[in-house]
Amino acid sequence: MQVFDLTPLVLLLPLLGFLVIGSLRLFGLHEHTEMISWLGCGFVAAAFVCALVSFVTLTNAITSVSDTTLWSWTDHTGNLSVSIGLRLDALSAVMLLVVTGVGLLIHIYSAGYMHGDPSYWRYYSFLNFFIFAMVLLVAADNFLFLLVGWAAVGLASYLLIGFWYQRPSAVAAAKKAFVVNVIGDFGLLLAIFLLYSKFGTLAYTGILFDPRNPGAAAASAFGVNDPMLIAITLLLFLACAAKSAQLPLHVWLPDAMEGPTPVSALIHAATMVTAGVYLVARTSNLFNYAPTSLWVVAGIGGATALFAASIALVQNDIKRVLAYSTISQLGYMFMAEGAGNYAAGIFHLTTHAYFKALLFMCAGAVIHALEGEQDIRKMGGLRKKMPWTYGTFLVGGLAIAGIVPFAGFWSKDAVLGTLLAQGTASGASPWYLVLYGVGLATALLTGFYIFRLIFVVFHGTYRGETVGAETQAEARARQRRRGDPLARVHEAPWIMLVPMVGLAALSTIGGLYGTPWGDVLSQFLAPVLGINFLPDTFVPQGALLWISFGAGLVAALMGIGVAIVMYLRRTPALKPMRNPLYQLLLHKYWLDELYDWVLVKPVVGAGRLANRWIEGGLLDGGSRGLAWLVGKTSIGLRTIQSGYARNYALVLLVGALIILLYYIVMIRP
Amino acid sequence: MPPDQPTGYLIVSAVLFTIGVVGVLVRRNPLIIFMSIELMLNAVNLSFMTFARYLDSVDGWIFVFLVLTVAAAEVVVGLAIIVSIFRTRRNIDIDELDSMRG
Repeated sequence: MQVFDLTPLVLLLPLLGFLVIGSLRLFGLHEHTEMISWLGCGFVAAAFVCALVSFVTLTNAITSVSDTTLWSWTDHTGNLSVSIGLRLDALSAVMLLVVTGVGLLIHIYSAGYMHGDPSYWRYYSFLNFFIFAMVLLVAADNFLFLLVGWAAVGLASYLLIGFWYQRPSAVAAAKKAFVVNVIGDFGLLLAIFLLYSKFGTLAYTGILFDPRNPGAAAASAFGVNDPMLIAITLLLFLACAAKSAQLPLHVWLPDAMEGPTPVSALIHAATMVTAGVYLVARTSNLFNYAPTSLWVVAGIGGATALFAASIALVQNDIKRVLAYSTISQLGYMFMAEGAGNYAAGIFHLTTHAYFKALLFMCAGAVIHALEGEQDIRKMGGLRKKMPWTYGTFLVGGLAIAGIVPFAGFWSKDAVLGTLLAQGTASGASPWYLVLYGVGLATALLTGFYIFRLIFVVFHGTYRGETVGAETQAEARARQRRRGDPLARVHEAPWIMLVPMVGLAALSTIGGLYGTPWGDVLSQFLAPVLGINFLPDTFVPQGALLWISFGAGLVAALMGIGVAIVMYLRRTPALKPMRNPLYQLLLHKYWLDELYDWVLVKPVVGAGRLANRWIEGGLLDGGSRGLAWLVGKTSIGLRTIQSGYARNYALVLLVGALIILLYYIVMIRP
Repeated sequence: MPPDQPTGYLIVSAVLFTIGVVGVLVRRNPLIIFMSIELMLNAVNLSFMTFARYLDSVDGWIFVFLVLTVAAAEVVVGLAIIVSIFRTRRNIDIDELDSMRG
């Protein structure tokens, strides 16, 4: 069967949406919110349908790759020829589905969440632009346009995090995200320079696969652990770490929660942060020949997973808990990729997109209902008021904790099973088992923090202030009457619930395409993920498989158990503790403060000094001094310029007469 | 006095030139000043012609043609400037146009 490759449409439809919605302001149509919602969702829905068609026909096709060249950008300029081309293969097809599918649900959800925002049109045009940038990133067929998409995604996140630009904190968060992302862009740029000098091309076909022998990796010509290859892969991973918020470049993601909550769901949970995971999987043919870099990937991933999960244990902002949870789950994905099982990384990426987008949507529904309250210490008992939100949040929580049979169980087990299988293989490095232990510990922490969130927000009694009171007097009066402070809290509108229920369904069954017995996803992805990628080697054999299942489940249940003991009671343990460990976690290991002291303060200080002494003293002072000098010396001369034309004429005449006189007197015939 | 003596012509030329100089210096209307300048130019032209005739040389003629051409161009530019000054300031008194005073 022929591949019905609609990737160009998937790319161009959201771009069109961005341009159309963005130009509505010019025609004074920006207040038709209903039309904007239809436009915004419509373009992405059409893109999703195109992605689905491409995906389905690709799964049934004989060929595994379909390239489209839109046009040739630089045709043999020197030795470099780059075309604006799109590549549809297993990896990009899966990513396109996730990006447009989850993106579409978030677009729909936003119609409810952002209702009444004065910049509704701007929001939807940015959202469409984000989808466009992400599609360009995953569908490009060369590194140059990967970089373009990479940077455009950074721009989109900047625009959306800083969407409420009236808030100084949102602006600061947007700036922080942009600066940290640019560090990664820089790494990618350097990697691209090295790739060009090494392979002489920027196209995936020439770099990842040998052009003369499409079955072999181009990197194999250089042997294993070629220094240049290690440098390239480490620079690529630097880019991935910035985009996917891995240590030590994770700092932008928790702050990025300043944006509207659907944006958090879209950019900072489901799609943008997955770009790094995607890039490692995409360049697996390079990483496979640089095992040293793979160890770095796995190590950073493991450290990040545990580190971020430990911070999530004690945070009190509902979105911040989820943000650190995202960082931790991304660490899982990198652990799997570092162990060589790129398919497991992509698998966890897809399931994580479902349940993390779901959790963020639920959090958004809660924040929406409580009129902007994000502190979980002021929540509680919302279960009865918001049964749908509670139910879907519970599904998301079970999925992320990794409980059978929710999606997260299968994908998390794919990650942990990979590490166990690699660690117990003959002659394997014991470090795999260490990483396995880290993974299990993270699973335990995950179960704890997510159920802490559920219990504190939805169970117990409400601890906040009266919601929806017009005046303070009314609030006090109702408190005296012992009225229900939540009387005005309602379940989210249907337009928000529909995407939530859809994602809850996906979080429940979404893992079934990756079970150890029928790993459809790995088989599908295998041709793209490098030579000799054998999914079966990453599945623990025999009893080990059941040990892996059991251990993961027990860890998650233990975490949930601790959460039940500590938080499922009338007065949950929410008081801040003096325990130094607790303080360390609450302050996020003081990393933000450390960066502030080591990086931000010196740079700002140096800038201030330069401003005062070089800019103000040397340059301004110098030019002002020169002007002063000229002004002072010309005081006497200035009076000559009287401004009277006849005066000048008289002077001319006198001059002429003097010259005439000179001739008459001095030069005699 | 024989007709080919230049003295009379030169006296007329000097008188015309002096009238022009005085006109430039004392009048405040730029149109009159322009006319005075023309007068000075033509006085010079007259001397050129006189000497050309007296010395039997065509150099003076050529100078006269040059002066006539330049004078025409100068009048065009100058009148255009005067008109546009009048349009913006509604006043062309030469003594009030002193925005270039130092």
